[in-house]
Formats: sequence, structure tokens, C-alpha cells
Amino acid sequence: MPATIHYSLLIINYTDLDTQFIGEHLVPGQLGHFFVITAFVGALFSAFSYFRAAQTEQDLNRSNGWLLMGRNGFVIHSAATFGTFAALFYIIQNHLFEYHYAWRHSDLSLSPKYLLSCFWEGQEGSFLLWSIWHCVLGLIVMVNSKVMESRVMAIIALVQVGLATMLLGFHFGPDIKIGSTPFALLRDQMQGAPIFAQPNYLEFVKDGNGLNVLLQNYWMVIHPPVLFLGFASTLIPFAYTIAALWKGEYQSWLKPTINWSLFAGGIFGLGIMMGGAWAYESLTFGGYWAWDPVENASLVPWLTLVAGLHTLVVFKATGRSLVITVILLTITYLLVWYSTFLTRTGVLGDTSVHAFTGEGKSLYWHLLVVIGILLLLTISAMAARWKALPRVKTEENINTREFWMFIGSFVLLLSAVQIIISTSIPVWAPLAKTITGKDIAPPVDPVAHYNSIQVWVAIIVGLMTAMVLFLKFKKSDNKVVLTRLGITGAISLVLTLAIGIGQKIDAPQYAILLFASIYTIVGMIYYCIRVQKGNIRKMGPATSHLGFGLSLLGILLSSYNKQVISYNTLGVVFPFGKKTQAEDAKESRENVLMYRNVPVAVGDYFATYQGDSTSAGDPRTFYKVHYERIDSATGKVKEAFTLYPDAFINPKGQQGLMANPSSKHYIDKDIFTYVTSVIDPTKKTDTTKYKQHTVKAGDTIYLNTGYIIFKGFETEFKNPNYKPENGDIAVTAKLSVYNLNGMVKDMSPVYYIRNGYIEGIEDTLKDMQLYTRLSKIIPDQGAAELQIKQADPKDDYIVMKALLFPYINVLWLGIIVMVLGFFLTAWNRYTKKEKLLVQQDKPLK
Amino acid sequence: MKKSHIVLLVLVAASICIIVSMFGDFSTYETFASASKEPNKQFHVIGVLAKGKNMEYDPVKDPNHFTFYVEDKSGKVNKVIFNGAKPTDIEKSEQIVMMGSMDGEAFRCSKIQMKCPSKYKNDQVVIGNAS
Repeated sequence: MPATIHYSLLIINYTDLDTQFIGEHLVPGQLGHFFVITAFVGALFSAFSYFRAAQTEQDLNRSNGWLLMGRNGFVIHSAATFGTFAALFYIIQNHLFEYHYAWRHSDLSLSPKYLLSCFWEGQEGSFLLWSIWHCVLGLIVMVNSKVMESRVMAIIALVQVGLATMLLGFHFGPDIKIGSTPFALLRDQMQGAPIFAQPNYLEFVKDGNGLNVLLQNYWMVIHPPVLFLGFASTLIPFAYTIAALWKGEYQSWLKPTINWSLFAGGIFGLGIMMGGAWAYESLTFGGYWAWDPVENASLVPWLTLVAGLHTLVVFKATGRSLVITVILLTITYLLVWYSTFLTRTGVLGDTSVHAFTGEGKSLYWHLLVVIGILLLLTISAMAARWKALPRVKTEENINTREFWMFIGSFVLLLSAVQIIISTSIPVWAPLAKTITGKDIAPPVDPVAHYNSIQVWVAIIVGLMTAMVLFLKFKKSDNKVVLTRLGITGAISLVLTLAIGIGQKIDAPQYAILLFASIYTIVGMIYYCIRVQKGNIRKMGPATSHLGFGLSLLGILLSSYNKQVISYNTLGVVFPFGKKTQAEDAKESRENVLMYRNVPVAVGDYFATYQGDSTSAGDPRTFYKVHYERIDSATGKVKEAFTLYPDAFINPKGQQGLMANPSSKHYIDKDIFTYVTSVIDPTKKTDTTKYKQHTVKAGDTIYLNTGYIIFKGFETEFKNPNYKPENGDIAVTAKLSVYNLNGMVKDMSPVYYIRNGYIEGIEDTLKDMQLYTRLSKIIPDQGAAELQIKQADPKDDYIVMKALLFPYINVLWLGIIVMVLGFFLTAWNRYTKKEKLLVQQDKPLK
Repeated sequence: MKKSHIVLLVLVAASICIIVSMFGDFSTYETFASASKEPNKQFHVIGVLAKGKNMEYDPVKDPNHFTFYVEDKSGKVNKVIFNGAKPTDIEKSEQIVMMGSMDGEAFRCSKIQMKCPSKYKNDQVVIGNAS
């Protein structure tokens, strides 16, 4: 028996040695893999040591020993995680396509600024980025937290163990795979492909697959890291909350948790809306928010986080609402993992026919296990303390802040529940099918579905935001509150009427929302000036709520009056076939066909497609679209600008085009333009022929888009292509070209006789695609024979869509103000010396 | 009972009503045959591009009119009209999800979702046509 085993080992060794691959760089990958394993072991060691430190905290000496080991473990873990990142970055930067990750997500033409984007295109890189932010935040907590370090860090390190397993890439047998390593080699990932039988296979792998063109956008450089920092920062309130339950102590928990929740709320909100800005700038669905599952999955934990932050403030001020705070802050982090589950496993892909790939299936179960562990941890910690959680028995008054903040937070939670139920349809649809027999699909019009429900949430939350800050904790002076609310209410009502009528907002729920948002804006400004007397240290909460009000207003104004201005029934009319009027109305006709140099009415503008261009080193084609606004009375151009929407034509591995919009930004509106279809450049042919015209001075020749007047002959040569020589007999035809608006340019084709040969020099007018030749002179008639060709404008066109977004800047301003408010509050609370004692009706245990 | 609990109960009751009523918004996956039973209702239909049938898109004639043929899961081939520009890469799609309703013989859809065998494995291309 031993002999056979020996023999088989020899065979394995032999086949391994058989192929020596040429040109591979294996060191960075081996180093990277070493870092991955070190990070995993370090996190495990740190979690265990911190756990022991918490367990032995009665015995200070022993506990400190464990604490030290926990810290070292976490530092090693963090260093290894950074090392993993560096190794992968090296591989991508140096285009080592022997690695599957580099091959799949990058190519030689990738501009250096998008190198980092390769990290978030792939699953492994995303987990790595997430893990890195956890390390950074964990290190800050480690240094900063004084009382709860062992417990908080034990939780953080435990989560890091879970994340580290995502990168392990260990195989157990043919079916089970734990994690997926970013350092897998191309030849291992694609075993069996004949190319890898050759030792010099790398000579044939010249270039990578390239980065998704959608990610090649500046927003995509900055949005994912910020969003991942937002995701990561929700870990800290979670860890503190579990730690507080574990210890049964809620005093030292308060301050760091509020501060971290504020930080998380700000950065997470910023990350989400940067995604909106990216969608707005570079996607072509015409908006910043589409209630897409990926967007919803990140919005939902933000909503619960913000709700939890509010109840936490209530608990700090009054000792109430602890239970719901604990639930909200823990569920926030679980929802972050759930959103990863939704967006990464492909479970959303397509319920009824979806089949997991091997990768998807292992990730699916892996994420479920991690979520299960975190859920179990949360539930057991909560269950253990449930009865002992301090509660306040007495009833709160209705005219208090805590009462309404609690209700408001609960409404946010309900809103999150609705969004997550609808978003998770593909997750629960199989179950519903077994019960009802119906194969449930997401709503056909998701935007209408979510808007019709969430508008009421926005109204309730908006109205509360406008009013609740005027109340005080525990007891308010009704008279003062009502007076203030009356003043701001009256101002807001007037403004609402003015804006509502001006903007024609006539649907009742949106009119109410308009009032709610204006009430919030007016109320918060009044509150800052009148109540807080402009004291910047106190203005954080009012600032973020002001930002919230502005965001609501911006969302309402930009969406309610969003207009498609590229209806192709305007301007040049094209034959639509045999459709009836009713059919025409039924169809949405939002794309307009634009022939080159033929102006088309687009909203208040005349838009003209003026040709395409490319530049070296940029894979995109730019389409020049010139907009003009003409005063109808005087006929003068009041305003003109040019947009360059672009598109990737036939990007690698695909056919057709991937378009990027271009927008003209005004203070009060954006004109948003993108190309939906272009003529295939490979099919562009020059089919038109020269036509011969015999003309005398003063004659007119009609063109497709204008006319030419032959002014006569000249011997003064303006055509720069003609270089006179001695002995030339030369003459030029003076032509004046007019387009539909008036004169454009003079043209002067040249006719000359040199050394007995008749020659000619063409003159062209690119704008009008006009080519002219002087082919013959008939002196006795004083006539010229001209050859004229104008390319048919129908050979060059684009199909374009244009949208008008009014007041989109109000939204961006609102987001910025809101995020600043979060950070201002966090900073003020962080720097303020305050006693941690909870003021309450009865003392805490 | 605390006042806040009463408000909570009211809120929970209201949201249960909303969530139950929102089930009416949800669409269902159907075949061309089952969708034609209710021609006024919007459904999801899943299928693959029918091979050997013509696709028609002539932006010069009408930039918002694209017709093609799809074979649904029951194997029936049906004409589909999409009121928008021809989606990129549809020739390569492995699977097409269409949202719309039957209009006579043709399925008229306002949105197409495609699954492509691209290098971006889980990517789906969503082509919307806001109407």
C-alpha cells in the first residue's frame, strides 16, 4: 500500500513539473496569498484574545495580557490586509495578466486613474476594500475607546474573521469552496483551455478583458470608496451596541455610539447620493434615483441607521427608547450584509429562471452563514439582556420631543420595511409560488410603485422634521411652541402657494410634500436664527434637517417637472408609417432623429448635430450637438451652447454603443442630452456623385441645404491648396455659399494649366459636406462648368434624447448641507465635554 | 397603554394595509399565451430571441420603433414591439425579460431586460423607456 501512495505522489509531481510556464510572475501572488492567510489568522487570534480579555476583566493582570495580544493581533491583521491590497494593486498596475483578476478587470489601455476602479468591479476587490475600511476604523476605535475596548474590538475582529474568509479561496473537494482569492491564476481559473497546455501561453495573452466602460467615469473613482466607508462605519455602532449588551452597561456606550452613528449617517448618505450623482452624470436612464435594487439595498440600512440615531438621542436625554435603539442599530449592520447578499450573489438576477454559477452558489451560502452568525450573536445578546434592559415605566407627554422623535423613527423603520419587502421579491417569490401558485415579479413600473408609497413617508417625516425640534425634551411650553410653529407655518404656506402655482404642482400629495419640505426649510432657518441665535456649535442638527428639507424640495421639483424635450413630433417631421393617432399617443416618442446640420426643435431650443469626433487615447466618440435659443420676435440668437454627448462604439466584447450623457448646467435647471443610436460608422458610405452644372456669373445652384451663387472668375487665389508656379495659366471660380439661414462662406475651386496639362484643385466646405470643382472654362460664353457634390445628410445622423431637469441643484445643495450637518453635530459632540449620566425618571441599575 | 403605543399600533395597522395593498402592484411572470388572456394588464414575459427571424429597426423611419421575435418558455414564438431605440447587444442576449402587455398579435413592451454572456457575469442591461 505505501508503495502505491508513493507512486501516485510521484505522478502528481511529475505532471506539475512537466509544464514550466514561461514569463509568469508568481511572487506577488504568493505574497498576496500569504497576506490573505495572515489577515485571516490575525483576525482570529485578535478576536479570541479580545474575547478572553473581556472574560478575564476582573483579573486586571491577566486581562491586560490578553488585551495586548488582541491589539497586536489586530495590528497584524490590518497590516496583512493592507499588504493584500498592495499586492493586488501591484498586479493590476503592472498588467500581470497571468492573474485572473488583472486579466478580467483591466487592460493595457486603462488610464491610471481607473486602476483603483478595478478593485470594485470584482467581488474579491470589493470585499478587500470593505475589509480595509473596517481595519482603519477598527484601529481608530482601538486607540480611542477607553472603557469598552475588549468587547467592541472582539466584535470587530470577529467580523473581520468573516470578511477574511471571503478571500481565502480554499477548496474542499470538488464542490465546496470557501471564499475566492483575487490571486488566482488565469490558467487555474480556466483549466482545460488548450492554450494553457503551452508553456509560453502568456505570449498569447497580450491584453486583459478591460474594465467595464460604465466604471470609467470620475464618479466611479470616488463613489465606491466613500460608499464602502459608509457601509464599514455602520460596524462601529453595531459593535458598541453588542458590547453594551454583553456588558449590560449603557452609559459608556452612549457617547461613542452617537458620534460614530453621526459619522456613519453622514458618510453613508454621502456615498449613496454620490452614486446618484454618478447615475445622473453617466447613466442614461435620465435621473439620479431609479429605485433600483442596488440603490434600495443601500438606502434601507441608512434609513434604519438614521432612525436608530434619533432614538439614541432620545435615550441619552430621557432614558427612554433603549429597546428600539438596540434593535435599529444592530439591524442596520445586518441589513448592510443583507444588501451585499442581494447585490453580489445574483439572487436578484431573475427569480424564475435563475441558476447559480459555481461562484454564485458558494458565495450565496457563505454570505448566508456569515449573516446567520451575526444574527445569532445579535439575538442571543438581546435575549440575554431583554428583561434587564432599562425601561422607563411612566408615560411621556405628547408635547415632547422624545414622543415625536420616537414616532418619526418608527415611520422611518416602516418605510425601510416596505422598501426591503418590495426589493426582496426575487428572494421570497419562490416561497410565494409554492403557497399561492403565482410567479410574482417586481412591479412593472418600480418608480411609480415606490413613489406612491414613499411620498407619504416623506410627508410625515418632513412635517415632523419641521416641527419636532421646536419641542423640548420632557416638557415644552405649548404657547411658545405653537407661536413659533405658527409663524414658520404661515411663511411656508405663502411660499408653498407661490411655488406650487408657479411650478404647477397640482397632485394633492405632492402639494402637501411641497409644503412639508418648505415648512422644514423655513422652520430650520428660523430655529437657527431665533432659537439658537446663530450659535454654530449648536446648529448641527438644524443644519442636517435643513439639508433634508432642501433635498426633499429638490427631489420634488426636479422629478415633478422633469421633461423630455426631444419629442420627435416637433421640428422636422418624419414619416411614421401607418400608425393611427391613438397609437402615436400611446407610444412614448422620446428619441429624436437628427440629420447632420439639420436643426431640430428641442424644447425651447433648436439643436443641430454637427458631426462626430474622436481623439487619440480616448476610446469614445464625441457627438457635437449645438443648441440655440432664438428669440421668436427678433429672430436673434439669445443663447447658444454646444454639448458633446459621447459613446463607446462597439466596446470590447460588445456590439453597439454605450452612451454617456452630456449636460448643460444652469443654476435652475439642467439640459441633459444623450445619444441613443448612431449610424454604424463602418456602414457609412459616400454614395453621392458629383453633378455637373454649367453656369454664368450670377447664376444660382440649389443644394440640399442651401444654394450657391457663381459670382464670376477671379485671378486672385484664396485657395490655400494652390501653390502658383511660373508659367501657370490659372483661374478661380468665386462661389458664395448660402445655407438656410444666410451666407456662410466663399469657396474658390481652382482651374489651371501647367506644362500643358489641365489640373484642378477642389474646394470643400466641411460644415455643409460640400465639395466643388471647376472642371472647364467656356470663354466665349463667359461660363464655367462646375462639378458639385454635397454628401446626403441622410447618410450621417444620430438618434438623441434630451431631458430637462429643473432645480436639480436644490437637491445637490440639500445633500451637501445635510452631510455637513451630520459632521458638524458629530464634531461638536466629540469635542464637547459632557457628563455621561443619563437624566431619567428613575436611576439605572 | 401608553399614547405612543396607540400611535404605533395605528402606524403598524396602516402599514400592514399598505403592504397588503401593494401586492396589487406586483407583476407576474407569464407566457405570451397567458398574457393574452388579460390584454390590458402589464406582465413580465421571459424568453429568448427567436433565431432566424427578422429584427427591424430603422431610425430614419421611426427612432422609437423596434420589432423582433421572441420564443417564450412554452416555446411559442411571438412578435414583440418595443417603443424605443434598439437595445445594444440584443443579438447576443442569452435571455430577454420583457415588461408589457399583449396588443392583438404582438407583445408591446415598455421595458426590456437582457442577460448577456458578457465578461461582467452578473450584469444585466436594463433598457427603460419612461412613458
